[in-house]
Amino acid sequence: MSQDKIIVHIDRDLEDLIPVFMENRRKDVENLKSAVIASDYNTLKSIGHNLKGVGGGYGFARITDLGADIEAAAKVNDIKTITELIDSYADYLGRVEVVYQ
Amino acid sequence: MAETQTYRNYRVLIVDDDNDVLSLLSAWLTQAGFEVVTAKSGEDAIAKIAGTNPKLVITDLYMDGMSGMQLLSEIHKNNPLFPVIMLSGQAQIPDAIKATHLGCSAFLTKPVERDDLVNQVKHVLRLTRDTESDDGFAKNIVYRSKQMADLLESARAVADSNVTVYISGATGTGKEIIAKAIHEASSRRDHPFIAVNCGAIPEQLLESELFGHEKGAFTGANTRHEGLFQAANGGTLFLDEIGDMPLSLQVKLLRVLQDLEVRPVGSVKTFPVNVRIISATHKDLDKAVKAGEFRVDLFYRLKVVPLHMPALAERCDDIPVLAEHFLEKYAKQNNKKKKHFAPDAMDYLISSSWPGNIRQLINVIDLCATLCKTNTISLSLVKTALQDEPREIQTLKQTKDACEKNYLMSVLRITSGHVANAAHIAGRNRTEFYKLLGQHNLDPAQFRFKKES
Repeated sequence: MSQDKIIVHIDRDLEDLIPVFMENRRKDVENLKSAVIASDYNTLKSIGHNLKGVGGGYGFARITDLGADIEAAAKVNDIKTITELIDSYADYLGRVEVVYQ
Repeated sequence: MAETQTYRNYRVLIVDDDNDVLSLLSAWLTQAGFEVVTAKSGEDAIAKIAGTNPKLVITDLYMDGMSGMQLLSEIHKNNPLFPVIMLSGQAQIPDAIKATHLGCSAFLTKPVERDDLVNQVKHVLRLTRDTESDDGFAKNIVYRSKQMADLLESARAVADSNVTVYISGATGTGKEIIAKAIHEASSRRDHPFIAVNCGAIPEQLLESELFGHEKGAFTGANTRHEGLFQAANGGTLFLDEIGDMPLSLQVKLLRVLQDLEVRPVGSVKTFPVNVRIISATHKDLDKAVKAGEFRVDLFYRLKVVPLHMPALAERCDDIPVLAEHFLEKYAKQNNKKKKHFAPDAMDYLISSSWPGNIRQLINVIDLCATLCKTNTISLSLVKTALQDEPREIQTLKQTKDACEKNYLMSVLRITSGHVANAAHIAGRNRTEFYKLLGQHNLDPAQFRFKKES
């Protein structure tokens, strides 16, 4: 995967909220991985659903897209796709850099 | 800054079990000037409502413990009119319909946009302006729909001129009210506005009613009568139901419009008149012209500026404000306390087909206000009142079309005009959905809330 930074422009009004938001997203990755090991599709679906609902609002449209895909894959118990999506999600979180404007 | 100070009086309670959503929505609404309280569950929300007295609750639909739907029901046990906005990550029509019928004021789908949320909150709290008129034009006309705003914009543009206006539209849509608004916004406002229903006066009387007659002009003409053209001199003559005017009179009217003078029945003299003509009809005058029932030369002289009055079902956004207006009027006229429609009753009013237009709406509201024994008019009473209204039996196709159109309007209303969400709810792809909207002449933009400037 690429090592390039992904620049995301976020409203300055949300600056105080972003550190907590990003911390919660990193916890998501751990929770998603645990759920994959446990084949806990309900939790996978639920986390995907929440990511879909919250990502775009904060300015991270990619998180909303990944959340929607994780939710859809969890509905059909597609563990292979879910694992790939979690990798993509972790990669995105590792490379994203916020610029406030 | 003034906006911030105004909304500070409006406390909004946001309920969601996701901290990130709570933080985000709180930040948006606080920045928009509202005071915000948060709750992490339905149970927590019930306790906070009692303690903080919010004006509005925004709740997630799916939460552990008490769901958003249960919270809505719990809130409405004490106050059935309390505004609640529901948020859901899944746009499922059964949820949206159930929430609407339980009295939810709006249903938003996550991910929600900041502007959509803030506009919806302002709309529910009635902080948005109901009309776009800001110069007093048509100030007595109650509306908030884009259709009426567009119509009134055209009417305002032609008001202060002498141009002849022709208003088409079904019976009961309020054509005379528009005619009067045009008159009152014109330089003729200090002169008479006279309305005459050409279809309600027998042919032999209509000529003397319009043009006047001399004493002894015909049997029973014991005094001189100046006629409505002369009575309206300097002002406006509104010729309603012009499509019902007999052909023999059409030629005489045409002559008056060409020569700007009238000759009363039995008179050898003509009198100059300075009258602006506004005409209206529920008939399709193009068809009448083709059928030889209406003179083509008169048609083009009258139809210089055509305006079309939309049917009530086409401007269903106006029904809540019209209902409020007529309930208030009824209360004042009958010296009674003003009543309100339950949210599901209002939803039913909005989605009804209203073949009798505003006139039918007034009848239904008066009937409901008379029969209702409590302060809140229920859905069952509205259904009874609407069933009691005589209506023509429609063909199966007409009924199916009306039902489909109502359904599409409901879905667009629920999604605030968001086509992708509406199509998803309706179980169609976007292309098919757009095709359906085209068939019913529906514009999704009309269901989006106006952003305040």
